[in-house]
Amino acid sequence: MLAAITAMGIQATVLDSLHVDIRLGYSLGGTLPTHIGHEIRGINNFDPGLNFTVSAEATLPLKNRWGIHTGLRYETGGMDVDSRVKNYDIEVVRGDESLSGMFVGNVRIKSTQRRISLPIQATYDLSESLRLRGGLFMGWLTHRRFWGWAYNGYLREGTPVGAKVEMGSEPGERGDFDFDSSMRIMQWGLDVGADWQFHSRWGLFVELTYGFSGLFKSDFHSVQPLRPMYGTIGLAYRIK
Amino acid sequence: MDNKKYNRCITLCTVMVMSMIMMVTNTACFGEEPAYSEADIETATLHVGDPEAFFYQMTDSFKTVMSTDTAIVFVVRGNADVTALGPVFTLTTGATIVPANGSIHDFSGGPVGYTVTSQDGKWTRRYTVSVIPTTHTVADTLYYNFEHYELETANQHYYTWHNLLPDGSLGNDWATANEGFRMSMGSARPMDYPTTPLLQGYEGSAVCLTTRDTGPFGRMANKRLAAGNMFLGTFDVRIAMSDHLHATRFGLPFASRPDHFTGYYTFEPGEFVQDFYGNPIVGRVDSADIYAVFYRNHDAAGNEIVLYGDNVLSSEQIVAVADLGYVEPTTQWKAWNAKFVYREEIDENLLANRGYSLAIVFSSSSAGGSFTGAIGSRLCVDKVCLICTKEE
Repeated sequence: MLAAITAMGIQATVLDSLHVDIRLGYSLGGTLPTHIGHEIRGINNFDPGLNFTVSAEATLPLKNRWGIHTGLRYETGGMDVDSRVKNYDIEVVRGDESLSGMFVGNVRIKSTQRRISLPIQATYDLSESLRLRGGLFMGWLTHRRFWGWAYNGYLREGTPVGAKVEMGSEPGERGDFDFDSSMRIMQWGLDVGADWQFHSRWGLFVELTYGFSGLFKSDFHSVQPLRPMYGTIGLAYRIK
Repeated sequence: MDNKKYNRCITLCTVMVMSMIMMVTNTACFGEEPAYSEADIETATLHVGDPEAFFYQMTDSFKTVMSTDTAIVFVVRGNADVTALGPVFTLTTGATIVPANGSIHDFSGGPVGYTVTSQDGKWTRRYTVSVIPTTHTVADTLYYNFEHYELETANQHYYTWHNLLPDGSLGNDWATANEGFRMSMGSARPMDYPTTPLLQGYEGSAVCLTTRDTGPFGRMANKRLAAGNMFLGTFDVRIAMSDHLHATRFGLPFASRPDHFTGYYTFEPGEFVQDFYGNPIVGRVDSADIYAVFYRNHDAAGNEIVLYGDNVLSSEQIVAVADLGYVEPTTQWKAWNAKFVYREEIDENLLANRGYSLAIVFSSSSAGGSFTGAIGSRLCVDKVCLICTKEE
């Protein structure tokens, strides 16, 4: 009984110093290759899309400026990239069938994702209103789409000396691919950020997210390794 | 104090933005352009002093080489001197050829071998070039019995056929779209392709054409079926995906006047006909094609002409057609005899100079070119005989 009262007392003290805020952010970046191989000869177009984050987040200051931070985020991510490639190893899989070889031409890749993520970060207060955060996040995709097409070019089937097959730009003439089911559902990675509480209720935040896990399962090699990588800037409203 | 805070914030934001830019730019550096990996002969040209005395047609001096071809054949006049010729090739960018491009060789002893190496040095392809003096001792009757077939030599995925030439050697006059089917159904076994041999035909082996499902890739591309086909001509897999009706290049030069063609067939239409979108067309029974087309292989301007999937029966170049018309379904071997109906007189001089081409076409689904037909429709053909008018 005494223990329970003591525990409640501690809990009450802990809850007193807990900050909770609601955040809305705009994300830039999305899904990017870890490096661009020399097969990619140019980017015709890159559109990161309009990606946003809504979250409820809580910070618990501990002692000596340090604290911990967590939350529940709902994020959208995506990209639409159109690149020029040369000697690009491509494997298109659909059902039990696959077509692979070396492609020279253009590749359009589109992806959309929706994710629920849980960050766990350590915080350090630079001042009363300025706080740095860093830690890890776990994410679960609730929606995953990854598709595109190889177009206006040609495939050498199997190897560079295999049959040459031209691809046009219209559906049916180009090489469509669809890799939804090869995407990982769970992601994790590094997450660092900073908060600036410029008003008793309102604050600004920036966040940098870098996925350790690739976008695709490890046995998937049809496109170059991609990973979630984006920056977010947004507003926070303190409700407690 | 406030000012200090503000500065700190600016510094922090700058650091964040800088690191983001670094992340993005790190990903946006393009490496050095890779060397080319391809090792093809794309075109071959034979330059000679008096081309009119050497070639039947001026266009015979130039060959576009398909990516699937490794045997380049020039057909020349019977009296042409082929002992010292230097064919000139265009190669894929950066590739090199041994023996040297344009070097002089004696082609009278048979084909000359060439090896092409890619710019990056990692890939090679071997070609043979033949220059074959041809005289027109074409037999009055040509037989196509489909006894000579083999798995294609490069990967052994599907069957190809050879015709027996008068001198007993094997020609490559028959083409199929099997290579195109391979693009959509890489897992198919040789007997699952649209064009397959039939061990027990009317007499010996026959060829069997079956309309096949093109699987998940076919559905994705709205090309849900592939009719089995076989024809005199070439199949250009390069454009099988982007322009499929032009991938079937119907017809080969032919220097006799065809009169009629005969053969034996069985035809069993598939269960239901489906349209372009895969929806069944109620009440329709699939139909097959058996026909032959004789046409002028150069236009008025002297350009070389072949007929394609979209004009093989409608081109103005056509001189005569022998069409079986309705191919009555039958499970027993049935004989046909189709007479060539001429639309214009034959120019004997043009005929002697290989100015006409002949296409014989078989297909298990007539509307296969527009991806309409019944999966499972099966046309088997054997003992095809082409009878030509005797020259006086």
